[in-house]
Amino acid sequence: MIDEPNEKRKIAGISATPLSGLGTARWYHPGERPDPDAVSAADPKTELQRFIDAQTAANEELERERELTRERVGDKEAAVFDAHLKFLDDPQLVDSIKTNIENGEAAEAAVKHAFGNAIEQFEAIDGTMAERADDLRAIQDRLLRILSGADRTDLSDLPQGTIVLAERLTPSDTAKLDPDTIAGFVTMSGGRTSHVSIFARSLGIPAIVGAGEELRAVRDAVTVAIDADEEIVVAHPDAEVRERVTAGHSLTVQSGRVETQDGKEIAVAANIGTIAELEQAVDHGADGIGLFRTEFLFLDRERPPTEKEQYEIYCKSLNAFPDERVVVRTLDIGGDKPIPYLDFPEEQNPFLGKRGVRRSLGTDSDLFQTQLRALLRAAAKGEGTLSVMFPLVARLEELTKLRNKISHVASNLNAEGEEYQIPELGVMIETPAAVLMATEFANAVDFLSIGTNDLTQYVMAADRENEAVEDLHDPRHPAVLRAIDQVVEAAHDHDAWVGMCGEMAGNSELTELLVGLGLDELSMSAVTVPAVKANVGDISQSEASNRCNRALMKNTKSMINKVINQ
Amino acid sequence: MIERTVTVVPENGLHARPASQLVEAANSHESQVTIGPADGDSVNASSMLAVTSLGVETGEEARLTADGPDESAALDAIESILTTTE
Repeated sequence: MIDEPNEKRKIAGISATPLSGLGTARWYHPGERPDPDAVSAADPKTELQRFIDAQTAANEELERERELTRERVGDKEAAVFDAHLKFLDDPQLVDSIKTNIENGEAAEAAVKHAFGNAIEQFEAIDGTMAERADDLRAIQDRLLRILSGADRTDLSDLPQGTIVLAERLTPSDTAKLDPDTIAGFVTMSGGRTSHVSIFARSLGIPAIVGAGEELRAVRDAVTVAIDADEEIVVAHPDAEVRERVTAGHSLTVQSGRVETQDGKEIAVAANIGTIAELEQAVDHGADGIGLFRTEFLFLDRERPPTEKEQYEIYCKSLNAFPDERVVVRTLDIGGDKPIPYLDFPEEQNPFLGKRGVRRSLGTDSDLFQTQLRALLRAAAKGEGTLSVMFPLVARLEELTKLRNKISHVASNLNAEGEEYQIPELGVMIETPAAVLMATEFANAVDFLSIGTNDLTQYVMAADRENEAVEDLHDPRHPAVLRAIDQVVEAAHDHDAWVGMCGEMAGNSELTELLVGLGLDELSMSAVTVPAVKANVGDISQSEASNRCNRALMKNTKSMINKVINQ
Repeated sequence: MIERTVTVVPENGLHARPASQLVEAANSHESQVTIGPADGDSVNASSMLAVTSLGVETGEEARLTADGPDESAALDAIESILTTTE
C-alpha cells in the first residue's frame, strides 16, 4: 500500500504517562554525522565555498553564544569564545584547510586534517597547552557539525504546542524540554522504565516511547495526537481523535495524608529531580518528596553546583513541605549518565561499574563532601524534615565509611560555627546484595527505600534500557516480589520505616499489592499521586495483606497477575 | 621596522585571554607584527595558533617587531596587553 501523505496514520508504542495531547511534530536529530573522511569531494571551488559558509556560520554562532554567556554568566567565562573566534580565523589553519581542499579533499576532511595536526602539536606539550587542544577540538566539532547539516534544534526554546519526535532522547536532552511549552514527545526507542519515561512522568507531559521505525514516516510540521489510553501516536488525526485526546480526565487532587478503609496511613510522596518538578509535586498533593534525584542538579552545566546553590535548593524543597519529609538521594551517577566535567573511565558495563556511592566514596569524594555540607546545613534551616539516602549500597563497610564522612563534615561545620543538623539516614535497596543484607542495614539506619527499577534490573539481570528483555523487567516476577517482601520485613523487625521509590510505586494497578506488602511510603512521579491516593482510600489493609500473601506464594508472574486482578 | 622587548605580566602567560587580545590587536593594525621569545624564532602575531603555541609564561621576556605604517601604534597596543594584569 502506498502511503497517502496526509492520511491519518496510527503508530503503536508505550504510554509513558497517563496523559494525552495534541501538537505539531518536530523532529530532533542530534549528532547524526558522517565520517569526515567518507564524504566525497565535489570540485575544489565548491568545497572551498562550503568551508567559507561553515566558517561564517560558526562565527555567528560563537558571537551569539559569547553574548549569551556574557549576560548570563560573566565576562571571564565569555572569554573562551574570544579564543575560539580567533582560532576560527587563524591564518595558519585556514591556509592549511585551503591547501587540503585544493589537493582534492572535501571540506569535512580538510577541516579534520588541518585541526588534527594542530591538536596533535598541542597535545604533545604538557600543561595548559592541553586546554588549547580542547579549544581546537571544540571548533573542529562545530565546523564538522555545520558542514554535515546536523540538527541544532534548541530543545529549550521550542514553539508552544510542539511534539518532539526523536530516535531517542538522552537525560540531558529531556532536561532542556520546557513542560510549559511542549505538548509532548514520541521516541522510537525506550520502555516504560527508561529514563525518558520517568522524566515524562515527573514533568507530567504526554509521551509515547518505543514507537519503533514506523515513526520515521511522520513528517515535520504535521499535526500529531498522543493517545495515552490506546497507547498510540496518530499523525493527521481526524476530529474524533482530536476531541478524544484533548478532552482530558483529571483526578481530584487530595492534599494531606490518606488512610486505608481500616485506618492505616500511607504516605504518597513524589519523586523529583529539579525545582520545577517540586511545584508539580505540591500541585498534585504529594505528601513530601520520597526521592530527590540530585544528579539532575549536576547535569547540563560546565561545573558542579556550589555548596550555596545546593543549600538553597535543598532549603527550598524543605520549605515546600513544612510538615513532611523530603528524602534526598545523594549524587547517583555512573557511565550511563556521564557529566562533562567529571572523569568517567571506559567501562564495559557501567550499570555494574563505578556508580552511586562507589564514586562518592572514591573519585567524587570532594563533590560528595560539598553535597553533604549543603545537606547538613539545610537540615538545620529548612522547615520540613530532611532525610538523606545513599544509592547502590552493597556492603556494610560502605555504610560505615558514609557515617564517618558525615561525622567529619559535621565536625568541620561545628568548627566553622555553621548551623547544622544530622538528618535521618537511609539506604536505597537496589542490589540483590542489599536485599540479602537488609537486616543489617535496617539495624544501622533509620529507613530503607526500595528502588524497584534498579532492583528489578539487577535481580532479573535485565538491562532496563534494553527492549529485547523488557518482559523480564517487571517487578511482578516472583523473584522481585519476594525480595521486596524480605526487605519490608527486615525493616519493620528493626524499627526502620520502609518506602518504595521506583516506578512500581506509581503503578495504580499495584497499589493494593504494595499496601499489602506493608510499605509505609510510596513515592512516584507527581502526575500519578492523585490516582494512587484515590486507590489507597478504597483499600482495606487486612484484605490487601491477605491478597499479597497469596501472591507471594505463587511462582510465576502470570499467576501473580491473576491474584492481583481477581 | 621597530623592535621592543617586554616582560609578560598576565598571570597565565600567553594563553587564552591575553593571547586572543593580542591577536585581535595585531589584526586591527596594518603593520606586520611578530612575537617570539627573547632568544628564539618569532611567529606571526595574527595567528592564534602560532601565538599560543609559543608557550610564553608569566615573567618571561617577549620580543616584538612591527613593520608598516602604524608600527608604533601596533606595538603600543600589544605592549599594554602584555604588561597589564588580567
